[in-house]
Amino acid sequence: MTWLRLIRGELRKLTTTKLPWGFLAVLVIIAGIDAAVVMFGTDMDGSKGFIATAADQQSLMAFAFNAMIGTGLFGAIAVAREYGHNTVVPTFLTSPRRPRAVLAQLTAVLLGGGVLGLVGQALIIVGVALALPSTEYGFMVSAGNVIQLLAASTFAGAIGAVLGAGLGAVIRNLGGAVTAVVLGLFMIPPLVVQLVNDAASWIPPTLGAVISGVNTDVNLWAALAVLLAWGLVPAAVGLLAVQRRDVV
Amino acid sequence: MYSLEIENVTKRYGHEVVVDDLSFTVRPGRVTGFLGPNGAGKSTTMKILLDLASADRGRATIGGTRYRNMHDPARTVGVVLEPNAFHPGRSGRNHLRILADGIGIAPARIAESLDMVGLAHAADRHVGAYSLGMRQRLGIAAALLGDPPVLVLDEPGNGLDPQGIRWLRDLLRARAAAGGTVFVSSHLLAEVEHLADDVVVISHGRLVATGALSTLQKAGVSVYTPSPAPLTEILESAGATVGSGSQGLLVVRGLPIAEIGDRACAAGIALHELTPESGSLEDLFMGWTENDKPHDQPKDVPEFEREVVPL
Repeated sequence: MTWLRLIRGELRKLTTTKLPWGFLAVLVIIAGIDAAVVMFGTDMDGSKGFIATAADQQSLMAFAFNAMIGTGLFGAIAVAREYGHNTVVPTFLTSPRRPRAVLAQLTAVLLGGGVLGLVGQALIIVGVALALPSTEYGFMVSAGNVIQLLAASTFAGAIGAVLGAGLGAVIRNLGGAVTAVVLGLFMIPPLVVQLVNDAASWIPPTLGAVISGVNTDVNLWAALAVLLAWGLVPAAVGLLAVQRRDVV
Repeated sequence: MYSLEIENVTKRYGHEVVVDDLSFTVRPGRVTGFLGPNGAGKSTTMKILLDLASADRGRATIGGTRYRNMHDPARTVGVVLEPNAFHPGRSGRNHLRILADGIGIAPARIAESLDMVGLAHAADRHVGAYSLGMRQRLGIAAALLGDPPVLVLDEPGNGLDPQGIRWLRDLLRARAAAGGTVFVSSHLLAEVEHLADDVVVISHGRLVATGALSTLQKAGVSVYTPSPAPLTEILESAGATVGSGSQGLLVVRGLPIAEIGDRACAAGIALHELTPESGSLEDLFMGWTENDKPHDQPKDVPEFEREVVPL
């Protein structure tokens, strides 16, 4: 009961500032760009081959990895700003058993990230579907694959938010947490692949593509499990760090 | 009825001892002022009491229980610690809604709290547009949200206008009169003098004085002598603190008035005046804390005076 109350408070924290609206605006812009690409973009040979098949269209619309980056930033900002604005003080006074407070925060951020991922993917699907009639191709992706795209982005968005929240709890500084998310998801994985080729199948861009149904490098369930670990490990580190640290 | 107990609390940050074997009690039904120079360890002590910081040694309890182990801490203890612990883009009302959600308080109480602190008119404005005094009132509204029997307030008068300070004083006095425990740190000594029944004074993390304010204010002795230097030396060697008062008077703390007279007589030093002093809190505070070095023994106010009225 107490935990549910805390989650409610954390959800209200997320919805009573402009943070989610800012991310929503970015999602609308991304969907608009995707639609513009469908309407005006061409391949090197001037054709519209990149939307010629159902698989091409599904690949174009797959948003899971981008959702993970976006919600990673969302989670990092949501948690790190708590320390920046000292609002973590009333949080820990309300719930001095910190693991409970942090789990409530992670749950709220997870839900928020999932919603942002879902909304982002839905906007992109709608944008592409509206743009396709201006080309010679119709919307070819099956209902089942549309559902897979939506589910993949929801999952990746939720995991990305938890990852960002974990990093935010560890680093606490807003700029540092945002930088860590960008480095962790965007910059470091390709460098690791340069060193260890086999790692290519387990980095977020590949895993996001696998769960979106546009890549079969690894088994779907394995991809889901590894993506989960990408979120849970930073979250666990954040949980431990918060437990031991003084609020000064 | 909740007493606050600080028992042999020590806190270090690196090699720096911020709170040093500190012990005192805050009693219910009274307003206790918590005084000390900047960096004396007041905020750290409050954070240890509220389990926001961990003590290296000793323990701090509220009604015999650690804050983190209390059944319903936010309904038991109202806290003002950080004057800017708000998201500037969030409205005052939403700040309280978030707290009410977490504590499990009915939404109607939010409007009551805002009314109580005179912030109803600005409740839907962003906190970033609030003045320091308005933020302070919002912090007090948050502290009162759960109608708690214990209040722990760190500099709650900062930024308040004179009406606000009067309102706060009346509020805290009423809370204490109703049996509540009110523990309030402040730099505004004149305000504490009006407000507090008891005081706890620390310097460099160590206890300097504690007791009923009215008794402590009478704990000094004014002495006028034509031989101030030798008398000062004699009294200081006996453990007293000797300061300079107005018009050549010496202000002696830490020795009973009879002993001061006896020692002067034994040394053949004439005394032209020997009277109990009723000093202002500011005079007392300056006497307690001036020339205090980190980790000196608490010689400013000897043991018998520090425990005039054990809290």
